[in-house]
Amino acid sequence: MKIILNIIKKEFSQFKRDPKMFGIVLIAPVVQLLFLGYAATMDVNNVHILFLDQDKTETSRNFIERFESSGFFSIDYYAENYDELTEQINKANVLVGFVIPKDFSKNINKNVTVKLQAIFDGSDGNTASIAAGYITKIISEYSQNIVMDYREKKGLKVLPVGQISTEVRTWYNPYLKTRYFMVPAIVGLLLSIITLILTSLAVVKEKEIGTLEQIIVTPIKPFQLIIGKLVPFIILGFISVILVITMMNILFGIPVRGSIIFLLFASFFYILSTLGLGLFVSTISKTQQQAMMIAIFGIMMPMVYLSGFAFPLENMPQILQYVSYLIPLRYFITIIRGVVLKGIGFTDLWQETTILFLMGILILLFSSLRFRKKLD
Amino acid sequence: MFSIEVNNLNKTFGKFVAVNNISFKVKAGEIFGFLGANGAGKSTTIKMLCGLLEPTSGDAIVGDYSIKSQSDLVKKNIGYMSQRFSLYNDLTVKENIRFFGGVYGLEGKELNQRMEWILKTANLIGKENLLTTSLPGGIKQRLALGTAVIHKPKIVFLDEPTSGVDPISRRSFWDLINELSAEGITVLVTTHYLEEAEYCGNIILINAGNLIAEGNSKVLKTKYLQNPIYEIQCSNIVDVMELFDKSEIVDETSIFGNSIHIITNNNFVNENQIYAELKKLPNIQINKVEKIVPTLEDVFIHLLEKDKK
Amino acid sequence: MSINRILAIAKKEFKHLFRDFRMLSILLLFPVFLLIVFGYAVNFDVRNIKLAVYDQNNTELSREFYNSLISSDYFQISHFIKSDSEVKVVLDEKIAQCILIVPKDFSQKFYSKENVKVQFLTDGVDGNTATIIQNYVNAATASFNSQKTNHILEQKGVKSYIPFDFQPIFWFNKDLLTTRFLIPGLIAMILVIVAVVSVSLSLVREKERGTIEQINVSPIKILELLLGKTFPYIVVALSNAIFILIVGYLLFDVEVKGNLFLLAFTTIIFLFTSTSIGIFISTISDSQQIAFTISTMVSLLPSVILSGFIFPIESMPTLIQILTNITPAKFFIKILRAIILRGVGIEAIWDQIIYLLLFAGILLMFASKIYLKKENI
Repeated sequence: MKIILNIIKKEFSQFKRDPKMFGIVLIAPVVQLLFLGYAATMDVNNVHILFLDQDKTETSRNFIERFESSGFFSIDYYAENYDELTEQINKANVLVGFVIPKDFSKNINKNVTVKLQAIFDGSDGNTASIAAGYITKIISEYSQNIVMDYREKKGLKVLPVGQISTEVRTWYNPYLKTRYFMVPAIVGLLLSIITLILTSLAVVKEKEIGTLEQIIVTPIKPFQLIIGKLVPFIILGFISVILVITMMNILFGIPVRGSIIFLLFASFFYILSTLGLGLFVSTISKTQQQAMMIAIFGIMMPMVYLSGFAFPLENMPQILQYVSYLIPLRYFITIIRGVVLKGIGFTDLWQETTILFLMGILILLFSSLRFRKKLD
Repeated sequence: MFSIEVNNLNKTFGKFVAVNNISFKVKAGEIFGFLGANGAGKSTTIKMLCGLLEPTSGDAIVGDYSIKSQSDLVKKNIGYMSQRFSLYNDLTVKENIRFFGGVYGLEGKELNQRMEWILKTANLIGKENLLTTSLPGGIKQRLALGTAVIHKPKIVFLDEPTSGVDPISRRSFWDLINELSAEGITVLVTTHYLEEAEYCGNIILINAGNLIAEGNSKVLKTKYLQNPIYEIQCSNIVDVMELFDKSEIVDETSIFGNSIHIITNNNFVNENQIYAELKKLPNIQINKVEKIVPTLEDVFIHLLEKDKK
Repeated sequence: MSINRILAIAKKEFKHLFRDFRMLSILLLFPVFLLIVFGYAVNFDVRNIKLAVYDQNNTELSREFYNSLISSDYFQISHFIKSDSEVKVVLDEKIAQCILIVPKDFSQKFYSKENVKVQFLTDGVDGNTATIIQNYVNAATASFNSQKTNHILEQKGVKSYIPFDFQPIFWFNKDLLTTRFLIPGLIAMILVIVAVVSVSLSLVREKERGTIEQINVSPIKILELLLGKTFPYIVVALSNAIFILIVGYLLFDVEVKGNLFLLAFTTIIFLFTSTSIGIFISTISDSQQIAFTISTMVSLLPSVILSGFIFPIESMPTLIQILTNITPAKFFIKILRAIILRGVGIEAIWDQIIYLLLFAGILLMFASKIYLKKENI
């Protein structure tokens, strides 16, 4: 135990010597939180749209007005001809070019169906489809009014059947902010970066400068060395978790609805697996450069993509969904979103928690054995 | 009483044989020199003896323990200092000592005593709180050696401890090694400074993984080099060397500064033969022809040449 | 400036790279691996959302209603709820992502010309998906209404009238596949990793090992040193870009619509900018660990988050929108999308190119100032 403490003390003295690094480790979480919290939004609420109004009547202006007042669109241009519309879309200045045909108001008055055309820059398929959804909604509301007038004219004030309306209620995230989705997951991301990458770097660095050899030649037990090297990163990891949770509440008003204690326990289980992976990376890399690249390309990125962090798992091909079951971050993100947003706890998340714990133990054990073998 | 006994130690990396069936014994308390060119297998052997590398076959008893089956116990009883400076540059002197003391399980009064001793031997009293990186090379090496024996091991392995250190620091470093030996600690040291080998009790020489000579420096000089050896000081050294390379009475030649050493062979009877050879070159000026006691360098060059053949 | 000296450094750097076989293979293979995982995994398309149905009415009309919802591939019914208490559990434990609750009096009210409310609960944690679902459900309900109404009216002899026929046309990406949109961004990101991270690391490594002093005492000029050192990484990065384009074409059908030369030219300019960031970072860091962390913070992360790679810049708060200009990846991604997806020429992207060059120029100026200042001490 004393020997382990001794190593931990040494790691911290080294942190102290390297204030730049220490500062970065503490500032990084906050920067990431700000970035992801403010910038990482998939919400579509400022669609740049252009109108080619060939009708130019009161009715068409009225119609355009509806786009303006919806709050989702900003009308940037009124094009005079088709070429102009094409050019603006090609330059990506606008997302949608909306064409109002010449006889727009005339046909409405004659109760003839009007063809409306909207040309989307489809390159960002997600934004385009959401924008198309907004437009469809505006058009259908507008046409509802027209149809009502039409039926009234025909003396059909009361419809033959009732009308169904869907009352959509959104749980956990009533304003449908992507932020609520992203921010809690950042805790998982940060923990991975600090524990996985920094751990592998710290071990490989000692390899590079030769101090690892000097330690191995002492009677120290591999497990003492491993624990001593890992504990400081666990502590750093926890500091950043607490920092992020606090900032999350202050900056974005996202409180932890569930039990913080349970969350910290789950974090600990998760850290076991990332530390294990970090240790594993250190056993297969000779230089810090290698360690970083393997950690980023080989582990971090696939882990982030396949964890449901930003991209819904449901949309992935079946085989990738199976692969995602092997990724500890997946379980941790489910847990953290559950605890923070839904306020659920161990009773609902015991499966994820158990899997996370077992995975952590297995990965850490495997890596430690491998590490040990490399030492001997 | 031997403190290290090496029996048929082997280490191969893939097809490459780094250490080939080496056996030797080291007496308790002696300074044992381990010589060889770079890449001869010195560091590999030392790493095996410290329990850092597992031998491919063979075994060694270090202290009282087998490096194969009891490497943990071996580690407890040895100190090791590698050719690279391997203390933490970003820790202070004191923190380094405390750390390694702690790793060996020292604490309290004992740790403080050892720390004081190290600080004294490394001339670092009053500089405990300096960052290690700021120390001069010679002091760093003394600190590293002090730290390597912080737990008072019976045996200490020094892997090229003086490479890159200035002559004066090297001298005082050897004084320190002698002190350790006087306290009864067995010191196994590798070096490629041959004058340092003279400070050692027994020496072994390895080349390409093979042990090619062993004994103390006197034995080496007489046993492995029995034919007379002459030093010639003259002009046109290169021509003279070429001349003797072809000569029938000479086995080997080597240049030492502005003189040349020739090792005679069995055809050699007396000095006159040398003068007769030298006369073949009309324009050279001869300053001195003298029979000398061979240096270790002569012996090793001779042995390595022989091994090559 | 001497080409020979630059070549000497470049040769040495190439040798380092090839000697370190592991590193080279990581640099060449992982981006492709990443692309494949990424291409299949990253996908915002909303499809096969698990829907649980709580049908308290259980009539032909109610079945018709929810079947009309699942006729698109948005939803698949994963569960039928039988009791009120089940509702919460289903969402809490993610058995389904949304729940449709059809009330007991659904068909009765409907046919007695009363308006009826159907409840639709969604798990809003993923706001993006939830927004799309919400829009879809509203639209589907409206069309169910008008279909039913029109059907009955037509039986009564009233001609149905649909005022608008709305036809969205999606250019450049007919099927609205997100992969197509993301691959250009991925190229930019991988180039950032190779150019910024590797370059800064390799420069700092020389600092750490002291070999930079050896180079400094030689007559080589800073510019020559930098050009020589970065050249091999530019080669690696370019081969990465080519690999990604090939794999993108083979696996994900992303073909370059625009001019390949223009693409190569702009890529080189971006690499120039990225390496200048790498160089700048190397001047302010003393260890590889620091260089790595700084480059992640100031270049990798922004180029993922602030570049418009995944998250649309227009939706960010104004302040953040201004901040997005710190990442050259933003401009490069615009260029890439313009060339690869829209196939436009230089007339649409020249301003972005100028940004990139400006960026590089300013950074290099700062870097050489800091470098020279350190030398003097």
